[in-house]
Amino acid sequence: MSYLVIDNVEKYYGLTAALRGLSAEVPKGQWVNITGPSGSGKSTLLNIIGGLDSPSSGEVIIDSLKIHSLPEDELAVFRREKAGYIFQQSYLIPYLNALENVMLAQYFHSMADRKEAEEALKKVGLGQRLFHRPSQLSGGEQQRVCIARALINNPEVLFADEPTGNLDRDNTKVILDLLRELHSEEQFTILLVTHDPFVTNWGQRILSLEDGRIKKDELHA
Amino acid sequence: MKQKWFIFFLSRSLSERKGRVFLSILSVALAVSVIACFISITAGLQEKLGAELKPYGANLIISSSKGEYLDADVIRKVTGIQGVEDASGQTYSIVEIQGHAVEAVGLDFERLKAGGSRIEGKWPSKKYEILTGINLKNALKIKAGEEIILSKEGHEQKYLISGFIEKGGSEDSSMLLSLEDSQELFGLNGKLSAVLARGNSLRLEEIRKRIASELQDVSVKTIKQVASAEMSLLTKMQSLILMVTAVLLFAAVISIGSTTGATVIERRQEIGIMKALGATSKEIDHFYKAEALITGFAGGIAGFIVGYLIAHLVSRSAFGTFGQVPWYVFFISLSLGVLISIVAGYFPVRSMLRLNPAVILRGD
Repeated sequence: MSYLVIDNVEKYYGLTAALRGLSAEVPKGQWVNITGPSGSGKSTLLNIIGGLDSPSSGEVIIDSLKIHSLPEDELAVFRREKAGYIFQQSYLIPYLNALENVMLAQYFHSMADRKEAEEALKKVGLGQRLFHRPSQLSGGEQQRVCIARALINNPEVLFADEPTGNLDRDNTKVILDLLRELHSEEQFTILLVTHDPFVTNWGQRILSLEDGRIKKDELHA
Repeated sequence: MKQKWFIFFLSRSLSERKGRVFLSILSVALAVSVIACFISITAGLQEKLGAELKPYGANLIISSSKGEYLDADVIRKVTGIQGVEDASGQTYSIVEIQGHAVEAVGLDFERLKAGGSRIEGKWPSKKYEILTGINLKNALKIKAGEEIILSKEGHEQKYLISGFIEKGGSEDSSMLLSLEDSQELFGLNGKLSAVLARGNSLRLEEIRKRIASELQDVSVKTIKQVASAEMSLLTKMQSLILMVTAVLLFAAVISIGSTTGATVIERRQEIGIMKALGATSKEIDHFYKAEALITGFAGGIAGFIVGYLIAHLVSRSAFGTFGQVPWYVFFISLSLGVLISIVAGYFPVRSMLRLNPAVILRGD
């Protein structure tokens, strides 16, 4: 059985269908880019797979865990133990510095460890910016803090929703290089939503959505 | 260890958001100060009102349960009982004057005078000077300054009428003698017919029971007319305090609730990201409750100090005095600060926690 199974997932907002019976399987360690035009349901799908939103029907199974059948507290355990998230907006806590933002993820996971958090930030090239607040960091730097935060607890799967959506080409490349490097080191699964063809080419597999359905599912060379 | 980090992140949230935290404390302090000021003033007013009620006179009457006279010592014992503000002895008997039988009362003229009784003529100041009830003035055709003879069981004594009293009660048809004169005329040898006491109006029944249990062979009764008039006044006063406090509290919770609601919406991304990082709703709820507890605590203390100072100023300018603020006002202020802060934050945080992280982060 595949590591991640999307089983006939549907999502309705009132009468409007965002996902129409979508199914797919992802093996462990694969980098999957989810792409499609605006409104095709790619962010909705990512949120549902990542346990941040619930489907109207269907199920998502990750590592044999039916995540939408889990009680709320166990779903929280899934998020902190198995998943890491990066969003288009950085969503860093504004009153905490870069180091503390990473340590907050450690705190909810188990225990904050300053040294480990420092190492993670050094790994993403922010060794000199540990004590800067989000407002003192550039967009690219903020996203690198988010990568460090998402990966600090060694997640099995990384969910990234337009992580380079607010960045220029140079910063986009820096972030993607970094993700590629970390992915090859840690071998975690990546599900990355993007509408940018430049980003799409970085993954191993492309799931193209249109109108809430999978239009194309192809492996990338 | 986990607690250490909880305190660390909490302290960062408070210290790095000084402006917001200051505003939260300020709004709690404002609400608490109004309530603390109101309670302080009214508590002082109640004390003042208690003093103002003294002219109503005694509200408890103590007599022998065996129909005998009481020892003068009873006054001292009653005065020593907690809650008793004043006590004095009285004697009653029927005496004869110009062939008529009249009720004579022996009492303390100074207390009668302090009670604001109206008299025609002068207050007795020497031995064998008496006051006569106004109704007897015409009935017996007597005048102030005249001498009359009162007799009791063969014992006669001449008295000078110094004035007439009009109180609207039974005194208006009685002869009023000093306690010593009456004991001499009635042959009581220092004994008393009854002791009239004044107890704290708010705890009258409790005081009545205490006197009855601490003294032997006595019957203690409430003078209903006085007690009920006082109680009604004080009860109205207390209801007023309660109602105004409830209205102020409600207004405070609503206004702070809307402010907190706006702050929680402003911090929704923080809640969303905490959920995405794997925090349980309980953990997030604890974090915001702890914040509310601290701001409520600080607001409660600040509110008490400000309220106390305002109450001081208002009382001084309006009533000329400012009594001791009861200790409980501080605890009420502190509790209200914490309560207002926690209740105001409870619903917005709760409603946010019910949502999925994606919905919170989207800001729907």
